[in-house]
Amino acid sequence: MTDTPFIEIEDLYFSRGELEIFRGVNMTIPRGKVTAIMGPSGTGKTTLLKLIGGQLTPESGRVLIDGQDVHRLSRKALFTLRKRMGMLFQSGALFSDLDVFENVAFPLRVHTDLPDTMVRDLVLLKLQAVGLRGARELTPAELSGGMARRVALARAMALDPELILYDEPFVGQDPISMGVLVQLIKRLNQALQLTSVVVSHDIKETLSIADYLYLIADGQVVAHGTPQTLDINQDPRVSQFIHGEPDGPVPFHYPAEAFYRDILGEARVPASG
Amino acid sequence: MKRSKTMEFGVGLFMIAGILGVIFLGLRVSGLTLSAPTQSFQLEANFANIGGLKPRARVTMAGVTVGRVEAIELDTQWYDAKVVLSLDSELEGQLSRDSIASILTAGLLGEQYIGLSVGGDPEMLQNGDTIRDTQSALVLEELIQQFVSNMASN
Amino acid sequence: MQSKFSSGTARITRLGRRGCDLMEALGRAGVFLAQSAIGIPSREGWRLWLQQMHFVGVLSLAIVLVSGLFIGMVLALQGYTILVDFGAEQALGQMVALSLLRELAPVVAALLFAGRAGSALTAEIGLMKATEQLTSMEMIGVDPLRRVVAPRLWAGFVALPILTVGFSVVGIWGGYLVGVEWLGVFEGSYWSNMQANVAFINDVGNGMIKSLVFAVVVTWIAVFQGYDLVPTSEGISRATTRTVVYSSLAVLGLDFVLTAVMFGGL
Repeated sequence: MTDTPFIEIEDLYFSRGELEIFRGVNMTIPRGKVTAIMGPSGTGKTTLLKLIGGQLTPESGRVLIDGQDVHRLSRKALFTLRKRMGMLFQSGALFSDLDVFENVAFPLRVHTDLPDTMVRDLVLLKLQAVGLRGARELTPAELSGGMARRVALARAMALDPELILYDEPFVGQDPISMGVLVQLIKRLNQALQLTSVVVSHDIKETLSIADYLYLIADGQVVAHGTPQTLDINQDPRVSQFIHGEPDGPVPFHYPAEAFYRDILGEARVPASG
Repeated sequence: MKRSKTMEFGVGLFMIAGILGVIFLGLRVSGLTLSAPTQSFQLEANFANIGGLKPRARVTMAGVTVGRVEAIELDTQWYDAKVVLSLDSELEGQLSRDSIASILTAGLLGEQYIGLSVGGDPEMLQNGDTIRDTQSALVLEELIQQFVSNMASN
Repeated sequence: MQSKFSSGTARITRLGRRGCDLMEALGRAGVFLAQSAIGIPSREGWRLWLQQMHFVGVLSLAIVLVSGLFIGMVLALQGYTILVDFGAEQALGQMVALSLLRELAPVVAALLFAGRAGSALTAEIGLMKATEQLTSMEMIGVDPLRRVVAPRLWAGFVALPILTVGFSVVGIWGGYLVGVEWLGVFEGSYWSNMQANVAFINDVGNGMIKSLVFAVVVTWIAVFQGYDLVPTSEGISRATTRTVVYSSLAVLGLDFVLTAVMFGGL
């Protein structure tokens, strides 16, 4: 890679209670590209985004964004850094007490002293970009899931950030709004020269927009590369995920006693819970 | 914006109601008066026994409240109770030197208060003077004791 | 023998862990209060505070006033039947006013406030947490403690004392309705007895101090429970229940302590 990296993750360890989530994750996320982080459910992809955003602190290892160690920053410096990031949440996370217009205007109102007319112009511009200029007076409760996500995208872009983190942008969307979102992410990235990080397990859509892919499983990066190289990767864990095979290194069965012993009642009586 | 105006108006009313409520509690319920603390002057009176007299008790004259008990303390010179009375200033210089202060009881079990009655001395009491002529509280137990011992001796 | 011993130590360990958890939660709650309540409100902060005053204060007014009216009426009715035996029904005003000002208004208003506003605060903040609104606010670079929590805390601190005043006033008026208008206590003695025996600083003032303490405790519990809950629908419903239970217990317990300090001659 010739690009300078925007985010560097070095030897990251994180656990929740007894459960180890990351055991030495290393990643380099290039500037101005769409990088996808993929992996089966429950591997902590969302947790990784929260670590990048500085909401969680790792046990060891560090996350550098544009050279700054996210977890060493003071609260104030962290909040300043976050003005340069946008994050799109799984649920959209629109503020339920504000309407669509005010939701998109929110970052502008709290971080800038722009006059009302300029705020209005900017908000309408962002809403136009996601195709929802006409919905500005609706409340979040009146929006469909796909529309809420588009409004959230407009809000994430409001301050023209350098980095947008997408948390499962395609989950639970019908094919049409899924297509709309794929288009939007792609177009935005090209038009604004953003660095995008997409966390997802929707293979087809993610492969179509990502420039670079990381695959994580068992708390580690198991493979990384461009979509083409991953597609022909021989590692059984990679090909199981990329091609969506039901059984493989990630077993179909939750760990259990041997089936026959269980069914014939020879297994020990399970401890009462 | 219109909705937030009515909301602000509502909150404003709410807070005004709170302030009015405090004023009501002050004036109507605790009986504070808005006029600056009425001008008063102080007299002292020594009693052999004040019974159940409390600070803030009424001081009356012919049944009309003219002041209240300001403080009660033990006079270590005579070992009796020194009571400081605070009276309306219009009475300053109007009470003769031989006025009598007596501790009275409202009803059989009611609260105790001080009654003043005027004498005939031409000299008048001034601020800080002491009322010489006092009648102590009637202590019910003592009365009963007397009554019983009288009965026995008869 | 061995297993008995180990189950005993296990029990002690569990107790210890509970204790540690409790202390940790209290510590978190303290830091939380300090971080959110301290700070100079901006212009925007005033607007948010006003909004919360509406939700927390104005909307709780109806239930507090109606309860106050009924409690005042009941006090007058009960008090009259007792006082009339001693021929002391003129003292009704004093009795109604003192019971309300010193005890009933601060306590009952705080309990109603916990049920009406406290649970709503918990649920609202919990819902914002569950739908990632708080996280997304943080990612936008706005501190949710300042933006979401602080206005609610301060609205609670101010609203409950005002509600308590309202409760007292309406209660005394309710006592007047029953005592004077219905039972025929002489109107003059209802008010004059009250005025002679209620001290503004001692009775009204101490009642207000109580109410302020309750306001801080109830709002703090409600907002913290919302902020600290497990972000699921079950978590929200549990936290709402906890808010009402904890704040009711805290109000009643603190009331005893405060009464002992204020009126118990300690």
